[in-house]
Amino acid sequence: MHIYEHLSQFDGLQVAEFGYDDDQVNVLSAGGFAWGVRDHFEGEGFDKIFEGFLETVDTTAVTHLVLGYWGADFDNSLVDPVQLLVQAAPRLPALKAVFLGDILVEEAEISWINQCDITPLLATFSDLERLEVRGGNNLVLSPVSASALKVLRFEAGGLPAAVVRAVGASTLPSLETLEMWLGVQNYGGDATVADLAGILSGERLPALRRLGLMNSEIQDEICAAVSTAPVVARLTDLLLSMGVLTDEGAEALLSGQPLTHLRLLDLGHNYLTTPMIGRLRATLPQARLESNGAEEDDEDERFVEVSE
Amino acid sequence: MTRLSVVASPGDRRALGFAAACKAEGLPEPRLIPWSSLLSGTAERAGPGLLRIDSPGSDARAGALLRGPGDPARVGGGARWYAALTSALSRLRRTAAAGTEWLSDPGDIAVMFDKRRCHARLLAAGVPVPPALPEVTSYTQLRAGMTGARWERVFVKPAHGSSASGVIALHARGSRVRGVTSAVPGPSGGYVNSLRLATCDREVEVAELVDTLAPDGLHVEQWVPKAGMHGRTFDLRIVVIAGTPTHVVARTSRVPMTNLHLGGQRGDLAAVRSAVGETGWHRALDICAQAAACFPGSLMVGVDLLVATGLRRFFVGEVNAFGDLLPGLLGLPGGPAEGLDTYRAQVRAAFTRGVQRCAT
Repeated sequence: MHIYEHLSQFDGLQVAEFGYDDDQVNVLSAGGFAWGVRDHFEGEGFDKIFEGFLETVDTTAVTHLVLGYWGADFDNSLVDPVQLLVQAAPRLPALKAVFLGDILVEEAEISWINQCDITPLLATFSDLERLEVRGGNNLVLSPVSASALKVLRFEAGGLPAAVVRAVGASTLPSLETLEMWLGVQNYGGDATVADLAGILSGERLPALRRLGLMNSEIQDEICAAVSTAPVVARLTDLLLSMGVLTDEGAEALLSGQPLTHLRLLDLGHNYLTTPMIGRLRATLPQARLESNGAEEDDEDERFVEVSE
Repeated sequence: MTRLSVVASPGDRRALGFAAACKAEGLPEPRLIPWSSLLSGTAERAGPGLLRIDSPGSDARAGALLRGPGDPARVGGGARWYAALTSALSRLRRTAAAGTEWLSDPGDIAVMFDKRRCHARLLAAGVPVPPALPEVTSYTQLRAGMTGARWERVFVKPAHGSSASGVIALHARGSRVRGVTSAVPGPSGGYVNSLRLATCDREVEVAELVDTLAPDGLHVEQWVPKAGMHGRTFDLRIVVIAGTPTHVVARTSRVPMTNLHLGGQRGDLAAVRSAVGETGWHRALDICAQAAACFPGSLMVGVDLLVATGLRRFFVGEVNAFGDLLPGLLGLPGGPAEGLDTYRAQVRAAFTRGVQRCAT
C-alpha cells in the first residue's frame, strides 16, 4: 500500500492549501479549516512558504496544521519543520492538531521521508491534542509530558525502537488514541516486544481507549504480548492489522485474556488460515478480518502492508 | 481523390485501425507500405499523395530488421534500432515521388524518438518540461549529476526507448537506492522487459543496469511528483491533431510508470478535469498544443502530460510520434474530433488540410 493523495480532511476539518488554492482570499481569515502548508515541485522551499503562511494568514486563529513536503537530504531546501513550528509558537496560540509529514509516495516513499526530533513540538505546544506523524527515518522522540494530548499516531515503514520506548516512557494522561505502524527492520523498524513494555503496562496511559500496534513483521509476537497486557482491559479498539499476522498470533489472542469487551479488533491484512478465521469469527464477532493474504501464500513473500 | 498511403506493418492493429477509419470515412483502403520492405530496401517509393507514417508495431520481421537478431523482449539496443529507423525514413523521403504530401515528417519523428533532442526542442520553445541532466554515460556520472543538481529522484530513460522499456524510476541518497523498473535480468544474460515492475534496492544492481543501458544513450529527468486521485497517481495522454488537442485519456497507476501494460488503467477524466479546474484544464491543453507546434510537420502527436502534486503545474514528459493507438477513445466534446476516434479524426483532418492547401 502506498499513499497517493494529500489529506483533504484532517480531524474532521477540510484542508485549505496555503498558497495553492485559487480562491485563497476567501478563506484567509476564516477559521474552521486545517491549513495545509507544503513545498511543491520546483517550489520556493518549505521555510519560505511557512514564513509566507505566518505573514498572510491570521495564525492566531489556526487550530489545525497539515505540514507536507519539506525537502530532502540534499535538496536545496531541507528544513526541520518542528524547529520552524517551535519558533512560530507565539504566533500559533490556538494550535491543537498537527499532521507532520503529509507526504506522498510520489514525493518520497514513506521510509525516505526525512523526519526530525518531535520532542520540542510536544514540549512547546502544551495544548496540543492531536499529533500525527508520517515517516520514521531520522525520527526522534525523548520521553515527554503532554497533558493535553489525546491522539498520537505514527505512520512508518520502520519506526525506531527509541521512539517506541519514548512513547512508553512519556506521561500522557489524556491520551485516548495511540497508533503505531511499526514497520520492518530493513527500514529502521527495530522495535522488539520488550520495547513495547511501557505501552502495554498502560501505567502512564490511563485514558487510552484505542491502541494500534500495527504493520509489523513481528505481529505474532506482538499479539502474544498483547494477550497478557494490562492495558487491554481499558481499550475499546485494538488494532493489530497491516502486519505479518499468522495463526500463531491469533492463537495467542484466543488463549489469552478475554477480548470480548472490545468494540473493534482489527486484524486486517493477515495471513490466517480459513479454520483460524472461523474460530475468530465464532469467538470474537467484532474482529475485522478483511484482506487475507494466506491464499497462495508463500512464506518468503509475507510482508507488512506499508514498508518502503 | 487524393491517394493515401500508410507506412505500417501488415496485419498490425494500428494498420487495421487506420484502414477501418478510412472505410468509415468513405475512403478506399489506403495503400500500405510495409515497414519490413522499407527497412530491407525493397519497398516501392512513396507518393504521390498523402503519406502517413505509423509505428512498425509488433511485426516480427520489422522488429528483427530494426533491432537485429535476438530475444524480442530484450532491453537495450536502442541506438541500433534508432539508426535503422531513421535511415529507413531518410530513404523514404529521398526516394518519394514529387507530390508526396507528408502527414508525418521523418525529421520530426527522428527528434521525437530521441528523448534528449525532443526535450531540448521543447525547452527551447518554452514548453514546460521536467529539468534534465546533461549527457549521462555511466552510473557514476548519473550520481554525480544528481548530486550536482541536488536531486534525489530522477527518471532514467533510454534515449530511444518506448513503452517504458528500460526506464528506471530512481531514488538515491548516498548508498541507499531504490530503482523501480520493468527491466529484469534475462535468462541468458542482459535484461528483458517484464510486465511486473521490479524494485531494486541494491546499488550495485542499479549501477549495472544503468551502465548496461548507457551506451545506447540515456536521458535523465528530475522526477516530477505526480498528482493522485482515487488512490492512484495519474498522468494524461493528450493527442493533438492538426494543432488542436482532440483526445485525452487519464492513465492511472499505483507504480511510478502509468503505461497500461504495466498495470496502468484509464482513469476518470471528468474527475481529473474537475480537480484541475477549468483554468488548469485549458492551460493543460494549451501546453500540449504548444508542444505539438514544435513538430509542425506532424499531423498528429501524442503528448504525455505530467500533472504535479497540487494539480496546478503541468510538464510535458514525452511527445510520441505514434501516440494515437487509443482504441475506442472518442474526441473531446465540442472539438473537431467529437464522436471520432483518433484515426478517423486524422483522416478528416488530413483531407481538410489537403483541400485547404490546394485552395491556397
